[in-house]
Amino acid sequence: MDITSDTHSQHISRQFNQELEELKTHLMAMGGLVEQQIQEAVSALLEGDSRLAERVRDNDKAVNDMQLKIDDECTRVLARRQPAASDLRLVLAVIRATSDLERIGDEASKIARNALSLIEANQGAKGVVEVRHISEHVRKMLRDALTAFARFDIELALEVVHEDDSVDSEYASAMRSLMTFMMEDPRAISPVLNVMWILRALERIGDHANNLAEYVVYLVKGLDIRHVDPEELDEAAIKRQD
Amino acid sequence: MSETLFSQAAGGTRSAVIEIPAARSCLEIDDLSLRYGGQPALQGLSLRVPRHSVTAFIGPSGCGKSTLLRVLNRLHDLNDEVTQSGRVLLEGEDIHGPGVAVAQLRRRVGMVFQTPNPFPMSIYENVAFGLRLQVPLKKRRRDEIIEWALVSAALWDEVKDRLHDSAWTLSGGQQQRLVIARTLAVQPEVLLLDEPASALDPISSLKIEELIRNLKSRLSVILVTHNMQQAARVSDYTAFLEGGELVEYAATDDLFTNPRLTRTEDYITGRMS
Amino acid sequence: MRRLRLPGRAGLPRGEGPWPWLAAGSLALSLLMLAALLLLLAGRGLGHFWPAPVELVTLDDGRQLAGQPVREERRQTLQGSPLRERLYRTGNRDLDGEAWRWVEVTSIARRERPDDWAVIERQRWGELIVRPLALEEAGRRLAEAPLWAAFAARLERVLSLRAERDALRREVIAPLARRLAAGHDDAEARARLTEAQARVGELQAAMTRDALVVESAAGERLTVPLESMLAAWRPNAMSPPEKLAAWGANLWHFLSEGPRAANTAGGVWPAIFGTVLMVLLMSALVTPFGVLAAVYLHEVAPQGRLTGWVRIAVRNLAGVPSIVYGVFGLGVFVYGIGGRLDDWLFADSLPSPTFGTGGLLWASLTLALLTLPVVIVATEEGLARIPAQQREAALALGATRAEMLRRVILPMALPAMLTGVILAIARAAGEVAPLMLVGVAKLAPQVPVDGDFPYLHLERKFMHLGYHVFDVGFHSGDVEAALPLVYATALLLVGVILVLNLTAILLRHHLRARHAALRSR
Repeated sequence: MDITSDTHSQHISRQFNQELEELKTHLMAMGGLVEQQIQEAVSALLEGDSRLAERVRDNDKAVNDMQLKIDDECTRVLARRQPAASDLRLVLAVIRATSDLERIGDEASKIARNALSLIEANQGAKGVVEVRHISEHVRKMLRDALTAFARFDIELALEVVHEDDSVDSEYASAMRSLMTFMMEDPRAISPVLNVMWILRALERIGDHANNLAEYVVYLVKGLDIRHVDPEELDEAAIKRQD
Repeated sequence: MSETLFSQAAGGTRSAVIEIPAARSCLEIDDLSLRYGGQPALQGLSLRVPRHSVTAFIGPSGCGKSTLLRVLNRLHDLNDEVTQSGRVLLEGEDIHGPGVAVAQLRRRVGMVFQTPNPFPMSIYENVAFGLRLQVPLKKRRRDEIIEWALVSAALWDEVKDRLHDSAWTLSGGQQQRLVIARTLAVQPEVLLLDEPASALDPISSLKIEELIRNLKSRLSVILVTHNMQQAARVSDYTAFLEGGELVEYAATDDLFTNPRLTRTEDYITGRMS
Repeated sequence: MRRLRLPGRAGLPRGEGPWPWLAAGSLALSLLMLAALLLLLAGRGLGHFWPAPVELVTLDDGRQLAGQPVREERRQTLQGSPLRERLYRTGNRDLDGEAWRWVEVTSIARRERPDDWAVIERQRWGELIVRPLALEEAGRRLAEAPLWAAFAARLERVLSLRAERDALRREVIAPLARRLAAGHDDAEARARLTEAQARVGELQAAMTRDALVVESAAGERLTVPLESMLAAWRPNAMSPPEKLAAWGANLWHFLSEGPRAANTAGGVWPAIFGTVLMVLLMSALVTPFGVLAAVYLHEVAPQGRLTGWVRIAVRNLAGVPSIVYGVFGLGVFVYGIGGRLDDWLFADSLPSPTFGTGGLLWASLTLALLTLPVVIVATEEGLARIPAQQREAALALGATRAEMLRRVILPMALPAMLTGVILAIARAAGEVAPLMLVGVAKLAPQVPVDGDFPYLHLERKFMHLGYHVFDVGFHSGDVEAALPLVYATALLLVGVILVLNLTAILLRHHLRARHAALRSR
């Protein structure tokens, strides 16, 4: 059966409704924080703002704390409510999503650290265009995945899943061009490696956003599409399935 | 994996029923309807109950789950107000068939009720009750069966030294296991349990659940319960009934994580519908 | 906040208005009335057996009388002046023509309690209250001293001789006589009978040997043969323990002997026996009928309007006055069935009826009918209390309905059935009115059970404590003598009912204990 975003607010127990609602709210807050982390890490790099980069690096602890807090809430709901069906899937999806968001947070702080080394070395920004492009792409994916989660929107989630492929190809081509650049100018190896790390982090963020989107499908449809190749995904079947 | 059949009833309500192969089923219910004093209690139920597994019937009060259980044991025979149609096949044989003796059928399909109800006699005599109704046995053989039944019901160790005490000296949970032993002693093929643990404390309840899981290697168990967690814990298949209709029948793992129909979802997650 | 009230702490809850007080008051009143009833019965009834002192009263005009004071009453003379009179039991009915004397208290000049005055209970004419003067043996005066001890020893001898004679009559002569009367003419029996009769003659002669010369208060002298005496005592000379022993002996005689002197003296044993036997027989009859009827009504019959009407009818039967049952018993059992039985089986003894007149069987049957509704209702309620699951559990094990009823339901309803029987006993043991029509007798010294085949004589009339109370109280010539017996008999009736009920209650308790911890669920 399909569930919608207000499915979880129809329990006979209003306390239960509230608990599930809080889980979602906190997850969205965490998602917002993580998204901001990415955005700030990338701006720090693009604008050479080392203080911003340091703040991003230090903010990672806040992300980790949020994960612990949400996990705790999930444990409590599992223990006290013994949720079934869509409720159970919601709690499971939230647990998994926090773990992905936490990793995204880690990647953001990784970007910030690499940005810091770049800023300190005061090196010319090779590959910055690619970083800006891919970061925007990845951020949109993350935003969409979170929106899909908030709205229980399957179509949006499936778009995110497909988006990940184009991020991957963009990442591959950026890597290729940076590789070429490194070979041409061996002195630039160190800063280019930093950029490559940043790109790699962004690509991983895309993967995590992709995971989030997959959880939305699980949450709404009860289908696990985690290890299914997006090419083989029968979207029509997913959308049709009751 | 068995096929799930979706169907649309005449009234517009939908049902999702897993198809158990006939070869694996002990009981087949075919388009069973039952009216109780003109009031419909069961409406066109069709499902197969798999052998050597625990099948749970869940649903709100008055959904017909107990009624269905009583049909399987033909306890409605006593009631003139009940009219029913459709067939129930036990191992392919119609239980309402002309050649079927009710007493014989009830020995093949044992039933245990909600409140522990041992008879006013000793523990031993309670278990021997069903046996004494049949052909006379040698005492030695009878003792063996009684011990076997009590062991199977996980009660032997607790009562072996006081078999001739009154059954009413046992605790509620022990009484319920005694009642199960009493039913097992006649060696039924199907065991019907009508909310067997609802009058018991949580620990006794868990003991009964453990017992149910162990019993399925010997016979097929049908469990009616309004405790969904209990159904989720012990059953292999779960059927959700509402308003006398079979709404959804699926493997328990599926039904409790991803029910197909909103009515089921609403019921098992405790939503207003 | 409510204060915790410890059990055993006196006091009623406050602040709940007058209701607890009213309820407690009514209970206290009922208990008080019950206690008063029992005390009255016990005091008046049991006091009768106490050896009251003998007073020698000298009146103003010099006349003397000896008697045991019973009670005093205040009355008015015809002129309206107050009068206090004291009742004396003077005995000596054969001498004075009256065994009681009312004496105006003011006319008493002197009262004494001389030790040597004796109360002698006789087989006929009631008690003598006299002063013993001397003993005679075969008309010859003896000079044995002390007189009372010698008399007591000789009376003891007479009593043992009488006991031997009665035993001989009862155990040897009566069976032999019946045997001969039944046509078994054999010489040996005849010989033994003659021998026994000769022995009886000897005993009789031996008993008449001694006599006691006594003097009454009026100064009359007479010689009383010891053979006519049952007991004798000197109340004024008795110590309290001796009095207690005498009291016990009197009570025992009352319980164990048959009535004498038109039921105004002697004991009530046949009535006790008749009451108990009749109640037991009634229980044996009513229990199976009542239980079967209840089982049919509750378990077998389809529940519908008809069963509803039957149920109402049964409950209403319990309210029908008992005399109506008596009339029914007389018409149907005695004249109808009994008359028919006589025609078929006992035609040779007609026109004197065997079963065609009131008897133990018909009385028991009538009372069984009377108490049937009680048993039915109680049993049905017991059946209704058994949860439906219990029945279904038995059926689900493959029991048939009959097996379920017999092996599960009836054992569980047993305490309820016994409750019904207890109620039935309580009602039946106290019934008198219907019995007067169907078999109770004013005097039936022969109890319905004896050594003759068929041992239990269902056709015989029997005595009943309740009827005995009625008869002694209202139909006896000597009201003053009867009154204490009425109380004592009434107390006994209460006691018998209590014992019967207690037996049934203990039986029920035993059954319940067998399945301890009867669940209240």
